[in-house]
Order: sequence, then C-alpha cells, then structure tokens
Amino acid sequence: MCNACGNPAVPGHWTDAGADTPGDRLRARFRRVALLNKILRPYGLSAHDDGMVPGIQLSTWSGNTTIVPDLGSLWADAERLIGCPIDPLDAEYLHG
Amino acid sequence: MADASGGRIRLTVLGGYLGSGKTTWLRHQLHLGRFGPVHVVVNEAAETSVDDILLTTASGLTLLAGGCCCCVGRQDLVTALRRLCDMRSRIISTDTRLDRIILETSGLADPGAIVAAIQGDAILVNHIVIDETIVVVDALHGLAQLQSEPLGRQQIGAADRLILSKSDVADPATLTILRATLRDLNPAAPQTGAILGQDVALNRLPPEMQAAPLPHLSNEDMRGPIIPACVTVGANMDWSLFAVWLSALLHARGNDLVRIKGVVRTPAGRLLLQTVRKVVQSPEILPNRADLGQDGKIVFIGRGFRPEDLQLSLDHFMEPTR
Repeated sequence: MCNACGNPAVPGHWTDAGADTPGDRLRARFRRVALLNKILRPYGLSAHDDGMVPGIQLSTWSGNTTIVPDLGSLWADAERLIGCPIDPLDAEYLHG
Repeated sequence: MADASGGRIRLTVLGGYLGSGKTTWLRHQLHLGRFGPVHVVVNEAAETSVDDILLTTASGLTLLAGGCCCCVGRQDLVTALRRLCDMRSRIISTDTRLDRIILETSGLADPGAIVAAIQGDAILVNHIVIDETIVVVDALHGLAQLQSEPLGRQQIGAADRLILSKSDVADPATLTILRATLRDLNPAAPQTGAILGQDVALNRLPPEMQAAPLPHLSNEDMRGPIIPACVTVGANMDWSLFAVWLSALLHARGNDLVRIKGVVRTPAGRLLLQTVRKVVQSPEILPNRADLGQDGKIVFIGRGFRPEDLQLSLDHFMEPTR
C-alpha cells in the first residue's frame, strides 16, 4: 500500500483475478471499461480507464464525475449518480 | 498468482450447530497433524469454556469466551486475530512462522458473518486469507435442526465442506434423507462422514433421493426459502464480462445470495470462485486436471429470486456487448 495515497487499500480486487501477467491485466482493464460503457449507456453514464490512473472514472453526461477504486464499489456510485437502483434481476430489466 | 495466499496466513473456519462435534473432529485432526503447525482460536458463546482443555495438541491456542464472534464478540475476534498477525509480522519471513489459523466458532455462529467481519477489516484482509469453511453436521439431530432452526440452514449454506459426525449411530435411512437435504441446501459442498473425528466413507448418495421437506420458519425471511440455482457460463466465458455482471449482482442482491461457488476458466487459469453474501474470497488458481466437467457451472444459493432469472440476467448482460 502506498503511504502517501493509501492505494490499494486491499490486496487485489477479486475482479482482477482472471488476469495474471501485466499485459493481461491492462487488457482486462480496457475490456472491462468497454463493457461497462455498453452496459451503462442506457443509464446515461460513461466509464473511463486510461490504464494509468488507479480506479475507474465514472461520469454522467452532464459531467458529474467520480473515481471508484474497483467494480465492487462502482455500482453504489452509479446508483448515486443516476438516483435509482441498478438490479440485474429486476423484472423490468429482464422482461421489459 | 501462483499462491493465492500471497504470503498471508491461511484461515480455516470450523462451524456447526451446538453439539455437532466440532471440537471432537478438530481434536482428532490435530492429533493426526492434518493441518500441520496451527494456531487454534476457539470461540464459545458461554462464559465457561471446555473446548480449550481438549485442544492441547495445537501449536497455540486463543480462547474467546463469553460472546459469539459473529455478533456480540466480533470485536474480540478481530482484536485477537490482529494480535496474531502482529506477532507474525515481527518474525522475518525466512524463519518458521505462523501459516495457518483454525477458528472454531461457537455453535450459534453464522460462518458467513465471520468471513464478512474478517474481510471487512482493513488490517486483517491484508494478513489473512480465508482458506475453507468446514461445517460439522450432527447426523443424529441435523435433520431436526434444519427443520426448526434458520441458523442451521445458514450454516449449511456457508459451508465449503460438510462433515457428518456421529454417522455410525444415525439410522441409515434418516442419514440418507439428511444427506439429500444437505445436497439440496448446498449442492457445491462435498460430504464426508466422521466418527469421533475419524474419517469414514459414506455410501454413494442416489441422485434420485428426495430431500426432507423444510417448513417455512416464522423468523425466516419473508422472501421465501433459500434455494440453489445453477448458472452455466461455458468453458470459453469472457471473464471480464462475468466479473462486471457478478459485481453488479452482488451489489444489488448480495445479502440474499448466501453462497456462490464454482470453477471458471480465465486467461490466468482455472479459477475457484466463492462468495459468502457480499464478500468474495480471494479467487484461487487451481491446477489443470483432465476432468474439467464441472468447469463453467456456478452454483448460486440464495433467496428472493427465481432460479431461471440468473441465467436470463447473464444472457441479457451479454447482449449489448456482442
């Protein structure tokens, strides 16, 4: 953990486990942010990860932006930004 | 990530209902040296303790009496584990130092809550990796406990491995029904038998064996009973996509998902994925085996959803990304 910024606070988020080498890890970050953009677009959100800055930048289309450390905390912030819950098992999402 | 523990201490949680035979089993395993040099942490809900006297073969022993460590005694547990981590950090890594802790919970503890407490602590999560949750089930009284105690069902749901104690004295027919019921509640957990701590082989459980009906309990969640569901992700699954979906699912439904367990294929290798409620344990890379039949099948145990909706939701998630 970095003494100056405290990042990362915990050893490796579980969502990073599928990538072993530095190259795989970078590829996984870009792939993840591309997927997030497709999934979050209907909610009026976009995600950005340049591979350098730790974390994922999450923005509304009006420019309200936050940085989340990992996928585990992304969804709570996404809900806060759009003001409604995101539930993959929501009946409207599944059958609407 | 060849070694998922990454230099951290491995912690085994040993749970099970009151009187199920946790200490008897552990005592025999320590005698056999199954866990190697180990520090045992015993938690007892009562003020007066007995278990610590029985477990003298451990390398070290910490007793936490007078409060169940999944609820009122949680802070005591965190403090005790932090002290062990602190002591270990003072020894240089080339010397022999503590590598494994076994936590014997009280009979009233929910192992899931303990795992969550450890992984939620900023210090402990850097020093301890949860290795396995073993739950001992009383072959004599297990069925009655499952029928009347929501806690008994929670304990089964949180298990990686189930040990059926007293399997010699239980009526064979009742034992088979109990095993089918356990399989229904937690299909991912392998079952073994034990008599006074000694491993015994159990007969093969017929797949068609029916589980005992479990009544709704008044203090149980109104969203229905805990049910298992299986999601097939296939051998060529996109790990990034699955991780995005699962993180969203755990955020929304984590408290209802008692347990998720399965092996998935990733670029890094075969990954053992397991969660207890919202807590995901450090995924472990498994060696490649010839038999990969169970890969890509993930078991979800929880309530408040229809089993078929999980697969539907994952498929929906994949749609806009194609």
